[in-house]
Amino acid sequence: MATSITPRGQQHVDRLERIWAERPGLVGWVTTTDHKRIGIMYFFTALAFFGAGGVEALLIRTQLIGPNHHLLSPAAYDQVFTMHGITMIFLFVIPMTTGAFGNYLIPLMIGARDMAFPRMNALSYWIFLASGIFMYVALLSGHAPNAGWFDYVPLASKQYDPGTNIDFYGYGLIFNGIASTAASINFIVTIFKMRAPGLSLNRMPLFCFAFLAVSFALLFALPSLSVAALFLELDRQLGFHFYDPAQGGDPLLWQNLFWIFGHPEVYIIILPAFGIATSIIPTFVHRKMVFFPLVALAEILVAFLGFGVWLHHMFTVGFATLTTVYFAAASLIIVIPSAIQLFAWIATILTGKPEFKTPLLFIVGFIIYFMIGGLSGITLAAIPFDQQVHDSYYIVAHFHFVIFGAAVFPILGGMYFWFPKLTGRMYHEGVGKLSFWLTFLGTLVTFFPMHILGLLGMPRRNYTYPPDLGWSFLNALETIGSYVLAVGLVMIVANLLISYFRGAEAGNDPFGGDTLEWSTTSPPPPYNYAVIPTVTSAYPMWDKEDREADSRRLDRGEGLLERGHETPATTVQDAEWDEILSMPSHSVWPAVSALMLAGIFSMLLLHHYWIAFGFLVVGALVLFRWHVKGVTA
Amino acid sequence: MLVAGCGKQSILSTRSPQAHNIMLLWWWMLGAAVVVFLGALGLLVLAWFRRGTAGLPFFGERESAPEAMVVMFGIAVPVVVLVVLFGVANLYLIRQTSPPSPRSTAMTIDVIGHQWWWEVRYPGSAAVTANEIHIPVRTRVNIVATTADVIHSFWVPALNRKIDMIPGRRNRVLLYASSPGVYRGQCSQFCGLQHAHMSMYVDAQPASQYRAWLANMGAPARTPSTAAARTGEQVFMGAQCASCHRIAGTPAQADVGPDLSHLATRSSLAALTIPNVPSELAAWIRNPQAIKPGDRMPDLGLSDNQIASLVAYLDALR
Amino acid sequence: MTGTSAGGPTRSVTAETAPQAAAVARQRLAQPNGWWGMALFLCAEVTLFGTLLATYFYLDFGAHRWPPAGIKPPSVLLPLLATAGLISTTVPMLLAVRASRAGSRGRTAWLIGFALIIQCGYLAGQVLLFRHDLRQFSPQRTAYGSIYFTMLAAHHAHVLLGVLLDIGVLWHVAARKLSNYWLIAVRCVALYWHVVNVIAVLVVLTQLSPSL
Repeated sequence: MATSITPRGQQHVDRLERIWAERPGLVGWVTTTDHKRIGIMYFFTALAFFGAGGVEALLIRTQLIGPNHHLLSPAAYDQVFTMHGITMIFLFVIPMTTGAFGNYLIPLMIGARDMAFPRMNALSYWIFLASGIFMYVALLSGHAPNAGWFDYVPLASKQYDPGTNIDFYGYGLIFNGIASTAASINFIVTIFKMRAPGLSLNRMPLFCFAFLAVSFALLFALPSLSVAALFLELDRQLGFHFYDPAQGGDPLLWQNLFWIFGHPEVYIIILPAFGIATSIIPTFVHRKMVFFPLVALAEILVAFLGFGVWLHHMFTVGFATLTTVYFAAASLIIVIPSAIQLFAWIATILTGKPEFKTPLLFIVGFIIYFMIGGLSGITLAAIPFDQQVHDSYYIVAHFHFVIFGAAVFPILGGMYFWFPKLTGRMYHEGVGKLSFWLTFLGTLVTFFPMHILGLLGMPRRNYTYPPDLGWSFLNALETIGSYVLAVGLVMIVANLLISYFRGAEAGNDPFGGDTLEWSTTSPPPPYNYAVIPTVTSAYPMWDKEDREADSRRLDRGEGLLERGHETPATTVQDAEWDEILSMPSHSVWPAVSALMLAGIFSMLLLHHYWIAFGFLVVGALVLFRWHVKGVTA
Repeated sequence: MLVAGCGKQSILSTRSPQAHNIMLLWWWMLGAAVVVFLGALGLLVLAWFRRGTAGLPFFGERESAPEAMVVMFGIAVPVVVLVVLFGVANLYLIRQTSPPSPRSTAMTIDVIGHQWWWEVRYPGSAAVTANEIHIPVRTRVNIVATTADVIHSFWVPALNRKIDMIPGRRNRVLLYASSPGVYRGQCSQFCGLQHAHMSMYVDAQPASQYRAWLANMGAPARTPSTAAARTGEQVFMGAQCASCHRIAGTPAQADVGPDLSHLATRSSLAALTIPNVPSELAAWIRNPQAIKPGDRMPDLGLSDNQIASLVAYLDALR
Repeated sequence: MTGTSAGGPTRSVTAETAPQAAAVARQRLAQPNGWWGMALFLCAEVTLFGTLLATYFYLDFGAHRWPPAGIKPPSVLLPLLATAGLISTTVPMLLAVRASRAGSRGRTAWLIGFALIIQCGYLAGQVLLFRHDLRQFSPQRTAYGSIYFTMLAAHHAHVLLGVLLDIGVLWHVAARKLSNYWLIAVRCVALYWHVVNVIAVLVVLTQLSPSL
């Protein structure tokens, strides 16, 4: 531990500092393979997209503040609401949870010094960034996707949408999917193979279980979206007929493929939030999670069951009753693992001694909104009712409580929670609480009235509405709520930003956290841990003797791995120390490879197929060079 | 009250047994959800009051108590509630609200979605209209919902659940009104630029009125009786109007836009975007893109005189 | 516990020669990270083909005639023979992994080279068949053509990628060294081919399903 390092220990630390040093300045960021720096880049990139998506949301709400407003033209409105969905899902929540939180925290939590594939990790980031820029070029040039994030054909076919708008969508999502696939492979291998000795699966933090489940879900869900987007582009660019009923295709093929991806996606969005909640709750409640094994099982089960319910997005397309009933039953079954987790959190808070500090407040907000979103979700499994409110504002209310209330609130709470770890500074608690209440009330006022609007018959995705249907007041109220919400979110960012410069010193473990990341310095050194920690329970920070043993081992020079970028690899189940890996260090090739991919997709979009092929060949050469050169020793 | 009864497009002010039962299902689900929500919220409030003490009241700090709580509220209670909900909604109510079997009703209406209006046809009759569906009251009507272009969704909340209109499929939905009245419906699947302006009325009429209406609709359009109207007819046939619209009994027989044979009987224009009064009709013909941007109807560049006579002609097509 | 002491965990990157690498491989308790990475990547690829095959049958079941009027059902013999040839390469790839784990650099290289020749022959034959099919019917006329050619092209692209992987590994193992890293690479490439071979069987059965 930093506070009690002896001179001999300091020698070892200095040596590790030299070994793990990266290149200085901007070059250092472009070439970095440090999971923490990559996590920080993910964080700021995702935050920027959150800002963009938020501005789009405010534009939508401002347009709808009253009937027959014309802030946005219908064409602009369609682009804005489509980009709002794409941004929040593909460019904010997923990169923020898996990219930022997962990248930064998982190696720390499992006591590793880096991800299993550090350069592929950098590659994932650069591809994500490039795909985000790719899609925002579309918006800035006025050609953003405009058929909704669900992009149903034939509205998205060449016949009804002849511009490049939809091509930005099709290529952009395939592009983005490459990053997510690579990232999820990386997470699974990291979690399986890189855990500190003794950190067997049954001692793994629930945060890591959640991210493991998410990674598997992404891995199996994304191909369906990529194939759907591929078919879409083949139809649009080359005149194929996958979705054309006149030539034997079927527009419902798109809907099936999209939702086979799209429903697991919902759990991909929300499971990391569960993980963050199960990190924050024990810390502030000062007790272990109630029913740890059942909660771990429930997390995995949710991800698994999420693959069997996609048809509930399509109850109104006219399938046979039996088919819809089957999928409604499957959807209801998911309630059980969700309810298990919900009541495990509540029971933990109830039976512990909760300190309602800002991070825990956000988790309580999350629990409340997850209940609202979950209960409205159950009503949608009643097929006749779903068929009434489908594609009305009731649905918008439901999924915003799930996605904003339940997925984003833990992200916000997590930002406060791990801020001291990332910066070594404390955030301002009073401003933190105020920002919580603003966000909480803003969310309630923005999204709750949407339930009622849906019941009053207001359909989704309308750029305006008539004054005589009783929708005006609630819409105005929602718009006011959205501004309150925006103020709350800006306050969070401002609080963290100012605290970064002015905050009090936080120390290693300001909250009495239970997982390993709190044992290292704040911010952690590039090698994370001078001594590879040894773990004997699921709450390693609450095992004081183990941590004291770690610092004694530093003095004795044991378990240091200081011959290079070294970190242990352990066995999958029991985390027995298997071998010592030498990890690759900084490299420019990941960023260059992402640039080549960007070239390929841009040229495909512009129909320069030979130039795209040129980029492919150069990209392959880059990969080859990276590979042969990058192999150490 | 805020929720009940305001607006003509609400699932909470219903005029059919189907929509009524779905509404009842909603109120019951809401009641159960409120109980569950308040119960869980109560536990959180209790946690706040007991934030200084570990364990539960009565049960103390035994770990089996919270675990039993998780099993009870996380597994046992949901299973019971969900089984009941599944039975009521997905085994019973779903049958009651499903489309009628073709044999159980003599009455079928074809509704065809277009960007961005509704074409309505009455099989067995020459009647064709747009954006207004007349049905006889207290009759089970079999709506066959199809589309001419992209996916739309047919939804009249006061009467029954919705059904999508999908290329290559013939979907059906039951429409039944227990009392006469006009019920608003709207496209509820995003269908492009003017998705917001794709609404229609269902006009449930007593059987005799309905038959009279249908007979008029099936008849050819009235020949113009005034000079202005006759000029208007010439403008209609001479300008591009006739290349998209049909007027029964005249050379105009195109089917791109709505059938105008009895336009004057309809209460609105452009799928409920504006009321069907002469001034609005003139404004619509003058510059449809200003009223419904992106609509398929182009600005025809007609003079004010031509528009006035067109309005006179169309306004007489009762 | 500094690493290399007897009985402790090994520093696997220090295994530079084939015998050293083989010793490390035999000592390892769990599968190496690279193997896991490839296995998971293949999970995604299998799902991708699952989606393609599911689409084929989805369109098939929704069609009145499959293949549509005017398109002959595919001929069976050549694709089946080619696929049989391809899946036979599973044996040399398995043996190559064994040879590498036995520390035999030369045998590893020869076995991969042998498999590579068959795989290249398969690819060349399939490209000819593909061009032949393209002259018979077009992906731009019917949904049948669309899924038929997309599915086959996706599989041929995977065979091409496998051939490139083979060449990379073969060049390195034959011309340079069989270190720990490249031993894992041999195992990954072999795993890749096993899965691509299984997919080949599924794809060819789907492709020929109207004639079977």
